[in-house]
Amino acid sequence: MNLDIQVSDYENKSVAEVSGEVDVYTAAKLKETITPLAEQEDKRLIIDLSGVDYIDSTGLGIFIGALKASEKAGTSLTLTGLNARVKRLFEITGLHEVIDIDQAKREEA
Amino acid sequence: MQVSMYRLYKDMLTSYLRDKSETALYHAQQFSKQMMEQDMSPEETVSLHLSVFQELAEDLPEEVTDSFDLLLEVMIGYGLAYREHQSLRDRQQELESELNVAAQMQRTLLPDKQVDTEEIDFGVISVPAGKMSGDYYHYDEDSVGNFAVAVADVIGKGVPAAMSMSMIKYAMDTLTDKQTEPAGVLESLNRVVERNIDEDMFITMMYGVYYPESHQFHFASAGHEPGFFYRSAADTFESLEAKGLVLGVSPKVRYEERGFRLDPGDFVVFLSDGVTESRVDGEFIERDTVVSMIKERLHLSAQEIVNELFEELEKAQEFQLRDDFTLMILRRKF
Amino acid sequence: MQVQTHVDINSEWGIVAARQAGRKLAREVGFGSVDQARITTAISELARNIYLYADQGQIKIEEVAEGGKRGMKIIASDQGPGIKDLRRVMEDGFTTSGGLGAGLPGVKRLMDDFAIESELNQGTVITAVKWLR
Repeated sequence: MNLDIQVSDYENKSVAEVSGEVDVYTAAKLKETITPLAEQEDKRLIIDLSGVDYIDSTGLGIFIGALKASEKAGTSLTLTGLNARVKRLFEITGLHEVIDIDQAKREEA
Repeated sequence: MQVSMYRLYKDMLTSYLRDKSETALYHAQQFSKQMMEQDMSPEETVSLHLSVFQELAEDLPEEVTDSFDLLLEVMIGYGLAYREHQSLRDRQQELESELNVAAQMQRTLLPDKQVDTEEIDFGVISVPAGKMSGDYYHYDEDSVGNFAVAVADVIGKGVPAAMSMSMIKYAMDTLTDKQTEPAGVLESLNRVVERNIDEDMFITMMYGVYYPESHQFHFASAGHEPGFFYRSAADTFESLEAKGLVLGVSPKVRYEERGFRLDPGDFVVFLSDGVTESRVDGEFIERDTVVSMIKERLHLSAQEIVNELFEELEKAQEFQLRDDFTLMILRRKF
Repeated sequence: MQVQTHVDINSEWGIVAARQAGRKLAREVGFGSVDQARITTAISELARNIYLYADQGQIKIEEVAEGGKRGMKIIASDQGPGIKDLRRVMEDGFTTSGGLGAGLPGVKRLMDDFAIESELNQGTVITAVKWLR
């Protein structure tokens, strides 16, 4: 089970492109990368999930942690590129109401 | 060193040196088991070999005897590793039995009384992937005959999930008799969970109540895997969904409550995602698969249905559950 | 008059010297070849610990007698950084998993009696005894 994370840094935002499966085995790695990004003040965090096929509940927890961290830092968290299965997971858990999800990038699959 | 070991070894070595037979080697293999049972270390074995050898072969060249000093020194390291391995194995057994006690305690948090009401046919099965479970279920009949059911799922599994699972149980116990409306129950539980849970953990839960007097079933969901509603007259399954955020993310959350009438033969299914995330041949099963498996067993009792579904899915996954599995059915008999 | 030897440990050469002295005394006290090798390994590990973690210290070995028993005592002392979590270093699998050798649990197993005292920034004293059977 592999997870790859590419981070690009801009003046007022960080973009993390994630690909692979976010599950109980890879969640720790994601958390390690994402949390410091979410804690940055004056920088929005955008997580691009275009390359993610599957997220389990432990993986979801990492996004909740990131959301709480970014709220504390006074910035925002946006998720983009969710496939249908992943999007459905955010809807079932009601998290789509508290996390900003930008569907512009990908809707199919 | 025990004299008997010395004798045995000497006999073995004598016989082997005489006719180089496979039998003698076989005896040596059996002997090694005996040595381990008696906690004989590798360095003692080397030393035993040398002293027996010295007795059998007189006038050993000095180099041969001396070379054993080196072998002995090296074997001490192996001996230590072997003992450490034994002590770690003992500790593992200790942890294992501790875990067994904890798992036993955890089972006492779950209701186990027989449901025996005229109108309700009820069945539940809950099996952890490991020893301890992150799933929780609840059922209870109140003083006026209203029947409450719930399934909750703590993210992750194993011990950390199990510890949060007990929190749900204790929070449920603080609910008063008046708090039985599903949405209200979830709102109260969410307040408790939000204050007591880790940053990146959460709990999903579905809570429902059947009111026999009106034959209404009401439910609310905190981000939980949708269940099913089976209508007997139309022979159809519907997804049981209601809006609501998972427990533990935000302090003030409102939950949507939905309700409908249960006619005779109708039933509702609550489950945890360990059911729908069963992987067969590496692929997730579809919710439709669960539905058709239930459909094939409509003639059975609620308990028989959940048992058979578990057995079939367990078998299909070669008895390796990836996640805790909980499945519950509540049916109106007539 | 009981024999007593001190060896200063500040190089790998010191470790070898301590081993040598230990093996000699073990033989004199009357230990068999297996126990000689065990005692030597224990001294070796203690001396290596001093060399690796405290830079310098001392190994003292002596013959002991108590209630009709005879044996040999090793005292390893240093003025190094001390050990923060004694329970941890005495746990199986803690040092060995990092490939550091037998570690202190190993020394304890090789000997009969074992005691350790350590104070942060003051140093560590380890005493171990092997009795003749």
